[in-house]
Amino acid sequence: MQDRRKLTDSKINEDLLRSVDHTPRAFWIVAGFLTLWIGGGLFALGNMLFWGLGVTGLNRPVMWAFFVTNFVFWVGISHAGVMISSILRLTHAEWRRPVTRAAEVLTVFALSTAALMPIIHAGRPWRVIYWALPYDFNRGVWPSIRSPLIWDPAAIATYLTGAALFIYTTMLPDLAVLRDRAWGKRPLRFWLYAILSLGWRGSSRQWKLQALAGILLSAVILPVFVSVHSIVSWDFAVALVPAWHATIFAPYFVLGAIHSGVSAVVTLMALMRRFFHLEDYITPDHFDALGRLLIAVALGWFYFFFIDFIFGLYSRESAEVAVMELRLFKAPYNILFIIFIFTAFLIPVPLWFMRRVRRSVLLMFITTILVNIGMWLERFIIIVPGLQYKQPLDFTWGEYSVSITELAIVSSTFAVVSLGILLFSKLFPLVPLSDQKEGQRLQDEIEIGKRSVPAVIREE
Amino acid sequence: MRRDREQPNEVRVTTPEEITGDVLRRYQAVGRGYWIAAAVTAALFLVGVMGLAFRLAGGTQDQAAWGYYAATFAYLLTTVQSAPLVSMGLLFTKAHLQRPISRSSLLFAFPGLLVFLLFIPLLPLIPPTKGRNSLWFEWPVGAPHVFDTLALGFLVLSGLVYLWMASWPDLLTVRTHGRGWRPRLAGFLAPHWQGTQGQWRVLKKALVFLGALYFVALVFTNSILSSDLSMSLVPGWQSAIYPPYHVLTALQGGVAATIVAMGIWRWTGFRSYLLFDHFWALGKLLLTLSLLGIYFWWSEFIVYWYGRTPREQMVLQLVMVGPYLPVFLSAFFFSFLVPLLSLIWNRVRQSILGPFLVACSVLLGLYLDRIRLYVTAFAAAQVSEHPIEQVPAAHLPDGADIMMMVGLPAGAILLYLVASRLVPGISIWELKESLLLRKARRFVQGYAVTLGKPE
Repeated sequence: MQDRRKLTDSKINEDLLRSVDHTPRAFWIVAGFLTLWIGGGLFALGNMLFWGLGVTGLNRPVMWAFFVTNFVFWVGISHAGVMISSILRLTHAEWRRPVTRAAEVLTVFALSTAALMPIIHAGRPWRVIYWALPYDFNRGVWPSIRSPLIWDPAAIATYLTGAALFIYTTMLPDLAVLRDRAWGKRPLRFWLYAILSLGWRGSSRQWKLQALAGILLSAVILPVFVSVHSIVSWDFAVALVPAWHATIFAPYFVLGAIHSGVSAVVTLMALMRRFFHLEDYITPDHFDALGRLLIAVALGWFYFFFIDFIFGLYSRESAEVAVMELRLFKAPYNILFIIFIFTAFLIPVPLWFMRRVRRSVLLMFITTILVNIGMWLERFIIIVPGLQYKQPLDFTWGEYSVSITELAIVSSTFAVVSLGILLFSKLFPLVPLSDQKEGQRLQDEIEIGKRSVPAVIREE
Repeated sequence: MRRDREQPNEVRVTTPEEITGDVLRRYQAVGRGYWIAAAVTAALFLVGVMGLAFRLAGGTQDQAAWGYYAATFAYLLTTVQSAPLVSMGLLFTKAHLQRPISRSSLLFAFPGLLVFLLFIPLLPLIPPTKGRNSLWFEWPVGAPHVFDTLALGFLVLSGLVYLWMASWPDLLTVRTHGRGWRPRLAGFLAPHWQGTQGQWRVLKKALVFLGALYFVALVFTNSILSSDLSMSLVPGWQSAIYPPYHVLTALQGGVAATIVAMGIWRWTGFRSYLLFDHFWALGKLLLTLSLLGIYFWWSEFIVYWYGRTPREQMVLQLVMVGPYLPVFLSAFFFSFLVPLLSLIWNRVRQSILGPFLVACSVLLGLYLDRIRLYVTAFAAAQVSEHPIEQVPAAHLPDGADIMMMVGLPAGAILLYLVASRLVPGISIWELKESLLLRKARRFVQGYAVTLGKPE
């Protein structure tokens, strides 16, 4: 980190709590717009619940499509939080400091939204209760625990709990600052923060316990992090559907999730920097570091994608080859495939190799948006052509085409996540105050000859 | 296994002159232990070469007879040839930790020469791609033989070039401060190096570039060789995760080999440089890679288990639960369960002996793992063009196999010993650099260390 700024504690408080203390008109405009957008989605959902799944484009044999794609996409985005917070914390990466909270918040809202998608996809959401949970103890009716569809709720619930705990534990010192600032001015908020901050006084014992909890949670959540998208991948891979039944799916999905998740964090960072005026905290150095991380992740992901692709053709089985042909040569999948490969890899990754691009907030914003367009399409291309392939001896055959209802519902999930983050920023800081202050104290310099080298203090 | 508290985390030698003098003295003093180790490994290597000669005399018609040789080759590829990556990886992450470890891992690039030579007898055993499943799809011309050879040759060469370039500054030190024949050798190996600012700049950039190149080459080579020498030989074995699994276990083997080498360096004189912190850090890395190994294995197993097609059941029988079940279980135990069940404990992880013993276990486990993957593949090769219908019986090693399995890894150790006499076993320039970039200082009520992070 070469671009260092000396900031006082009061300046940090003032800057990072601006979104909590002030509510500009733009906030209401954006919040109102997002609420309207969500309203549109809810209307479409109500329409679907009233008329049934017939209003969607789902058609035998393609009964998993837009909603399931969106589910996989949001679970993928939710991998950003742990990747950034947990792994970077354990590896002592200094540049993580302004990034962590936003990534964790994105995780929670993305995961909550993802969890909604299978429920919506069920068409009759109330039925999900007895598909996923034991409901009739007397008659011994249980969900099949051998099904990955049952592992999903368990994995997502565990991950959501862990991620929420992660945010909460790391936010305790900030909640105490908010509590102290609200004293005598905003009684309602004071009580909210007082309850949430659990009597945080900043004693050395409390700091020690909080640091320990952070490390423990980081280590414990990592296996959960890997398991969530692995289980999502096994929803597909354990079935004998051509192009789904691949041993590589679990790590391939996890890497894809990190690729799209970290990209989403970069997008969010660019927006926060612009709209919350955080130029002193989110600097080009951070985009540079995240860009380097993205290069490594994207190359790893592409290796797995390529191997998966090659092994789809490896055995030259007619069904696998037919699905590949569907993906590559038949419209609209071929067009989507080209858009996917260019936006998820071929355009952004070569650009990220250029330092100037990595340090440009605007270009990082654009390239990471592209990545997530591509990664959404990637999930669609994995899911739909595999089902669309015509199996022998099947006589009911239809083509899948997306309906306006699906588009409205799926697009509104983006508004749900955005509004969630926006409302969170009204109550809590999106950049951790305590982490920033610690980072300031740990900054140092080492003189070598006439040069001064940026340095960081580490406990021995 | 107690945390080695008596060793301070700072190196004892605290000035550049002390480092130069100390490392050079140890480098130039060849003890009796070294000669004994060299003599023993040379004798064993001779035995291995004789075993290979016996095998070659038997011809290449009996593919199953070459299974253990292929496993030995794959084992050396996934341990010796990937160990240099530890140094390169730590360089990428700008970890100060890397400095004393660097040379211990880089010296493994030299035995890469043996890995390349061992590949040549395997070439006639790889069938042409026509009429069978292969990563090359009967294309391009010359695949897989030419491309496999080129990939491995490039990997070995880039490792050697990296070792050579990373040693330039130390070779200058040897040239100016060394005794006997060493300055002449150092002058021959790096005649141009003067340590000018421009040369340093080029060297640093070149090391980063070469390191990245080496990583890509390692992934590519492991991916294609693992497929060409095992999976694609077995009709019906079609597992996309197999090449990444091979790469991952190569990283695991590289870290394990580096830890073992570090332990030996430490106990033979470099106690002041290879400290508790280094073993602890690499122990954590080994634990992570072992966990990922379990994850990759499970990802393959669960898909086959649920798929349950006849083809998949046959593959499971062949490489896991059939005649090679004891080998599979032993491999799994030594390379995955031992690291998991031991390194999760602080007392084991935070020690020197703990990671060292676990690394030895991993090296043993990986050898068994290569046996289960390569011996089975060579035994089942070309049973028919269709997925195998009957799993062949376990193929036990004969005398020549045992000679090769013992002798050829000994040859790799011998070459490592030779390399350790060509350049100092600890990177002098990197240690000196760390003195500039690492300062102890008071912080609040205790002590802390300030680490410089130049761009």
